[in-house]
Amino acid sequence: MALARIRNFSIVAHIDHGKSTLADRLLALTGTMDAKKAVDQVLDSMDLERERGITIKAHTVRLLYRARDGHEYTLNLIDTPGHVDFSYEVSRALAACEGAILIIDAAQGIEAQTLANFYLASDANLTIVPVINKIDLPAANVEGTREAITAVLELDGSEALAISAKHGTGVPEVLEAIVTRIPPPAGDPHGSLKALVFDSFYDSYQGVVVYVRLTDGHVRVGMRILLMSNGRAYDVQQVGVFSPDMRPVEELSAGQVGYIIAGIKRVADAKVGETITEAARPTAEPFPGYRDAKPMVFAGLYPIEDTDYEALRDALEKLRLNDPAFTYEPETSLALGYGFRCGFLGTLHMEIVQERLEREFDLSLIVTAPSVRYRILTTAGEVLDLENPSKMPTPDRIAEMKEPYVTSSVFVPTEFMTVIYKLAQEKRGEHKSLEYHGKRVHIRFDFPLAEIVVDFYDKLKSISKGYASFDYEFADFRPSDLVKLDILLNGEPVDALSIIVHRDKAYEKGKALVERLRAVIPRQLFEVAIQAAIGSRVIARETVKAMGKNVTAKCYGGDITRKRKLLERQKEGKRRMKQVGRVEVPQEAFLAVLKS
Amino acid sequence: MTRYLAALERELDLLGGLGWAPRVRIETIFFGGGTPSLLDPEPLAAILVRLRDRFAVAPDAETTVECNPESVTRAKLEAYRAAGVNRLSLGVQSLDDAILPRLGRLHDQRGARLAFEASRDAGFSNVSVDLMYGLPGLDLEGWSRTVDAVLDWQPEHLSAYGLTLDAGSLWGAAGVGGLPPEETVVAQYWRLTRAAAERGFEHYEISNYARPGFRSRHNQIYWRAAEYLAAGPGACGFVGRVRYANARATPRYCQTLEEGRLPVDTFEEVTPRQRLAERLILGLRTADGVPAAWLDARLLGDAPLRRTIAAWREERLLADAGDRVRLSAAGFLVSDALFVDLL
Repeated sequence: MALARIRNFSIVAHIDHGKSTLADRLLALTGTMDAKKAVDQVLDSMDLERERGITIKAHTVRLLYRARDGHEYTLNLIDTPGHVDFSYEVSRALAACEGAILIIDAAQGIEAQTLANFYLASDANLTIVPVINKIDLPAANVEGTREAITAVLELDGSEALAISAKHGTGVPEVLEAIVTRIPPPAGDPHGSLKALVFDSFYDSYQGVVVYVRLTDGHVRVGMRILLMSNGRAYDVQQVGVFSPDMRPVEELSAGQVGYIIAGIKRVADAKVGETITEAARPTAEPFPGYRDAKPMVFAGLYPIEDTDYEALRDALEKLRLNDPAFTYEPETSLALGYGFRCGFLGTLHMEIVQERLEREFDLSLIVTAPSVRYRILTTAGEVLDLENPSKMPTPDRIAEMKEPYVTSSVFVPTEFMTVIYKLAQEKRGEHKSLEYHGKRVHIRFDFPLAEIVVDFYDKLKSISKGYASFDYEFADFRPSDLVKLDILLNGEPVDALSIIVHRDKAYEKGKALVERLRAVIPRQLFEVAIQAAIGSRVIARETVKAMGKNVTAKCYGGDITRKRKLLERQKEGKRRMKQVGRVEVPQEAFLAVLKS
Repeated sequence: MTRYLAALERELDLLGGLGWAPRVRIETIFFGGGTPSLLDPEPLAAILVRLRDRFAVAPDAETTVECNPESVTRAKLEAYRAAGVNRLSLGVQSLDDAILPRLGRLHDQRGARLAFEASRDAGFSNVSVDLMYGLPGLDLEGWSRTVDAVLDWQPEHLSAYGLTLDAGSLWGAAGVGGLPPEETVVAQYWRLTRAAAERGFEHYEISNYARPGFRSRHNQIYWRAAEYLAAGPGACGFVGRVRYANARATPRYCQTLEEGRLPVDTFEEVTPRQRLAERLILGLRTADGVPAAWLDARLLGDAPLRRTIAAWREERLLADAGDRVRLSAAGFLVSDALFVDLL
């Protein structure tokens, strides 16, 4: 296939600016499949993705489009994950493209993720086609949005396409712009095979299916391929394209997007960002920018029933087949027994893994409060990476302690500036810059990652009535004055409830925490004292009074079934409690810790 | 009413015609639910006659009628007694005239006392009084007055239920003001428990107190998870391994019987595991408790439950009595917390 007839592109946007709707329109217009079916089958195929309205894994689909110049083009739409937890995956998917459609909501304007996606696309040297969507809305401000595109993104706002993906207005022009504005792939079809892995998934029948973009050469069945980062070689069993289901083809060649099946057993062996080449005739240089996805957030996962430990281990192993970004290592807790310390890209990723374990593997889990990775220089001169707060050395053994920081962008209407600054201050944010864009401001802050991993985004949304948008990326480790805050139940420390906090916030945090725990720990047969302590110093205390009465006085004239069903319903609620010493602690107590 | 009574007699006929009916020996009969004392003595007598025709009823069968104070007279009770009724359960609930109307009760404290006297005058020597505590507007002093006055009547048996708000009930759904705080409700429970003990009553079940020899034989059948038959709309029975409930709506109840079928609406077969749980949960409601062997059977392979039981022993909520295990009066008060785990 002539390279001149291929276009590889993705669609990027802030959440809810209409990415899926436009993708559906493009599929329908090119006859790839009708829009309704597309939504159900293609774009958000994981249940969790549909429920949360976000794309977690990259997807790809091939569209055949006859352009106004009379030629038929192959348009490969590479869909990207839509959450900041997955920015590395986004960057690899974009690296497989020559262009990106950047959607901006005509009523909302430029948001934090618009900007983050714009930078990612620019970094990948993509041709960016700005598209102003939702022009049908009464609040649409097309001219203002054009001006913002010119001012903020330094693109030509007058060239932005004005469309309504919902009604189909202007969508044909989007297809035409993909052909006329986005360059065809460059590359040498006769050179050595060079293919970029931008996603992969595990199929229990075929092994790992690898999504690739070829820049040079070709690949066909029987070829022996080499994965350059790990030196493993495989024989290709099948190659194909997505139209939108997997369809085998004879070969894939330079410029094309498709999949390879080669008997690879684990997703971890063909990671996103990997370079695939021909074993007999390897390419000189792999793609730049490959890195192992680094977990940023860590939490302990423990089965509520000790007997589920093996089942949890098997489930983690199975999940990891498909998701090499998450890590797990066995750990033990005095309070919770045997479990695993798991690493995640972010808290969304953590919630997804937890939900999949509970739904797909029917496990009841305790998840401890998420922690970031701290870096400790001990007085003995060792460097420790600490992912579990309860394992923090005593202060006399610590020479210096550092915590991870992020650089972040907040976009918000000017009237919310004051509350945003107040929140930033509470979260130990360091103000970096402020730019006015009409009625909106773009503020940059540096934050300790620990301050934003849990409820920051929700708080930001609520204090700005939903108008603020937020994006961040990891910056570096910075020295910090941190202490370990322990929680004691009836005098016994519960290691799984320990957290690391900044010294200045320890008192306030400890107080909020014991209050929160008092609210979630149900009354027991005996009084439960909840204390927060730093070292041996107790800084806050609450008490859960002993249960006064819990009795169904009457047995309803022999209706034993009814009585039993009432008790069964209560038991359902109790299932998620973990016995810590003599105290029954509900599952949410372990996460409630950081929501206090 | 005629249609309903015909349906009820039809139901007794159908039950009596079942294959296992000849083997049934009836030890207790209980007219309860709604206001049975609205029933005239003649139809009540007819029902008892029909029952004796169809089943082997023990000559000394405990035969109880639930009565609302405003619906009884000495003459009516005498006629009940002549028909074979030998025990009355009086729904007094409270002796506080400010509270009774809020409960939808039609009697006042004087009416309650007169009804009790009428039962004695009619010759009943086994009378139970139903009371409620934890009621809106009821403080500890008010409750003490009710308890002392009722004990002064010297009934043979007392039932006292703490108010439970079900989602389905009027108060449960709409909410109700003036509920006493939990400490007060707990104090009310202990007030009665102590006062009843001082007057020689045995606290033989969570909510029931009896002078020696006057425990409700009927209720003990429930608590032993033994078998009982049901007749009438919404009544619940337990036969073999099957728990069943009749249709609740009277028109449907009648219609089904007129069509010649038993009006069983829902039923379930109790699994051996459920049966063990029921025996424990019901048995532990009583002061006699359960055989330790039953509890041991439930504890097999259940380490968390063993820890729970140990905690209950430690808090003196559960105790051993020979080869039986029983809850203390303090244990009764929080018993649902244990019953949930025993399921």
